[in-house]
Amino acid sequence: MGKLIHNISEPMRIAWLNLLRNNRRTLLSMLIISIAVFALTTAGGFGLYTYDSLKESTARDTGHLTLSQLGYFEKEEETTLSNGLINSASIIPTILKNEQVRGVQPRIYFTGLISNGSKSTIFMGTGVNEKEFDMKGPFLDIKQGKSLSNINMSRYDSSEPEIMLGVDLAVNLNVEIGDWVTLLATTSEGALNAYDFKVQGTYSTGVPELDKRQLYIHIKSAQDLLVSDKVSTLSVFLFETELTSELQQTISVQLSEMALTEQIQITPWQDRAFFYYKVKNLYDIIFGVMGAVMALVVFVSLFNTMTMSVTERTREIGTLSALGSYPNEIILMFIREATLLAFIGSLIGAIASAITTLSLMLIDVQMPPPPGRTDGYPLNIYFSIELFSYAALGIVFICTLAAYLSARKGVNKPITEALIHV
Amino acid sequence: MITFSDINKSYQLGSQQVIALNAVQGKMQKGSMVALCGPSGSGKSTLLNILGLLDMNYQGQISIDGNAYPKGDLQAAKLRRHQFGFIFQHFNLIPVMTALENVAYPLQLLGHNRSQQHQLAKQILEKVGLGEFIHHRPDNLSGGQQQRVAIARALVHKPVLVIADEPTASLDSKTATLVIDLIKQLGKEIGTTFIIATHDYRMAKHCDETINLIDGVISKEQNQWAS
Repeated sequence: MGKLIHNISEPMRIAWLNLLRNNRRTLLSMLIISIAVFALTTAGGFGLYTYDSLKESTARDTGHLTLSQLGYFEKEEETTLSNGLINSASIIPTILKNEQVRGVQPRIYFTGLISNGSKSTIFMGTGVNEKEFDMKGPFLDIKQGKSLSNINMSRYDSSEPEIMLGVDLAVNLNVEIGDWVTLLATTSEGALNAYDFKVQGTYSTGVPELDKRQLYIHIKSAQDLLVSDKVSTLSVFLFETELTSELQQTISVQLSEMALTEQIQITPWQDRAFFYYKVKNLYDIIFGVMGAVMALVVFVSLFNTMTMSVTERTREIGTLSALGSYPNEIILMFIREATLLAFIGSLIGAIASAITTLSLMLIDVQMPPPPGRTDGYPLNIYFSIELFSYAALGIVFICTLAAYLSARKGVNKPITEALIHV
Repeated sequence: MITFSDINKSYQLGSQQVIALNAVQGKMQKGSMVALCGPSGSGKSTLLNILGLLDMNYQGQISIDGNAYPKGDLQAAKLRRHQFGFIFQHFNLIPVMTALENVAYPLQLLGHNRSQQHQLAKQILEKVGLGEFIHHRPDNLSGGQQQRVAIARALVHKPVLVIADEPTASLDSKTATLVIDLIKQLGKEIGTTFIIATHDYRMAKHCDETINLIDGVISKEQNQWAS
């Protein structure tokens, strides 16, 4: 073991001493590597945070798994809720038996007209139960009032069904908390039906287009309005997003054992995460280009450094060759120096990135709202060991390549010429 | 024994072909010290490089102990590593290594373990009078001390042949004398053959024989300065 450590440490000590021969040049190269690693891990960390937030936001919106009739997302409904689920009441308890499941939320998606008595506009409504808002957590921003009440509580007044309006829809209709609005929708039988609702709260999704049209009512109220016992979908929320595919399989087996009268489709959140994938693809391209530019900068810098070092040490290379060193042994010597440089530079870059991550936990830096959104968001950057490892490995590879190309040129010089090099 | 015959070497200088060595031949007994003398441009460095396998672009035959010199670069490097030692005019020590590490380097190439390397390197450094300077780097040693380290490095692995290119040219006369004595003494102890390119008559005087080169041709094969 001691011999092994010596075999590794001794050549590295010589490599370090060679790097110290030209402090300024070594420092500059190290700085360039550090900046590259810092930029890659920090930008990548920002990307990871964004992916994670979008992933969580999507999963909290659609549910980790969505249960629907087969082909629900592909085919249009001929009449209201014609593609809805009939057996939701028996499916929910079965799914809730899985301890990884946090909740199962029935939803009814419907559209119609909303009126304040003097002004009407179209809406996109969702019938939910009161637990929906616990599942959404911080991803639904209640602006005024409260979320929907539990209809099973004694305090709930069934003569005053509640409604939550998108903040811009409330402004458009000029209604406030406690005001009444009327919803007009087509029932499952094709007739028109209207119900009055009392405004319980207003909320923002962060997307102005949705805030102008969206509203929530209790699922029972939605079923009364649409005259149906069906629900559009069942959203299954899990404690951990990573368990999605495992639970998809489990639930699929459980449903097949239930001998239901309808075919159920289970859709994981990824299949409904269109915005997530658009952002991810865009960021992947941006970070890919950035990574390539950084790699080029590091390569050019290191190639220059190593070429200067090789040129300055041409006579030394000649001496080592004369003494019987093989070309690959001499090249390895320069590769060791470049690797050491890459390693130390990467470590400094990683430390700087970790400090930035920690600082952003303590200091609240707000990012401006993304296009199409109204709210900014706090700037957070993940520090990922995996990402750093990839960046560092990439940098080590680039430095090794630069050192190899430079040193190869040096060792290919005839020994007699190298020995008289000035 | 080292024998060489019909060694020819020419350079292309622009459109002109310059003959550096012309049908040079000779032989050196094992353990002998041979001085290679001649004015600048006479071809002594060229011959030295060829005999030291540093330049393999030549015509002719060379053999060491009956074995022909290899033609491939890697075989040449292997032979240099195992059987040759080199002493340079400007010492050519590795600046980041201590005297001990510089001397131990040929042993490291031969695969000796660390304690063997250090033990043998220390022994020879003590022989050249640098026992107290083993941990000094070259920039902390005088020219004479550096050349003694270089001599120790050339001899530590007991080579068959040592190629020395103007080993005293960068030294003052007193130090040069010390270095000459040291080469002779250690050469005898180890039984190594020395080929020394030199302008220094004191050096040549100590050699067993002299090869005089003029315009790439051996003019006379005798130790003209021998007493």
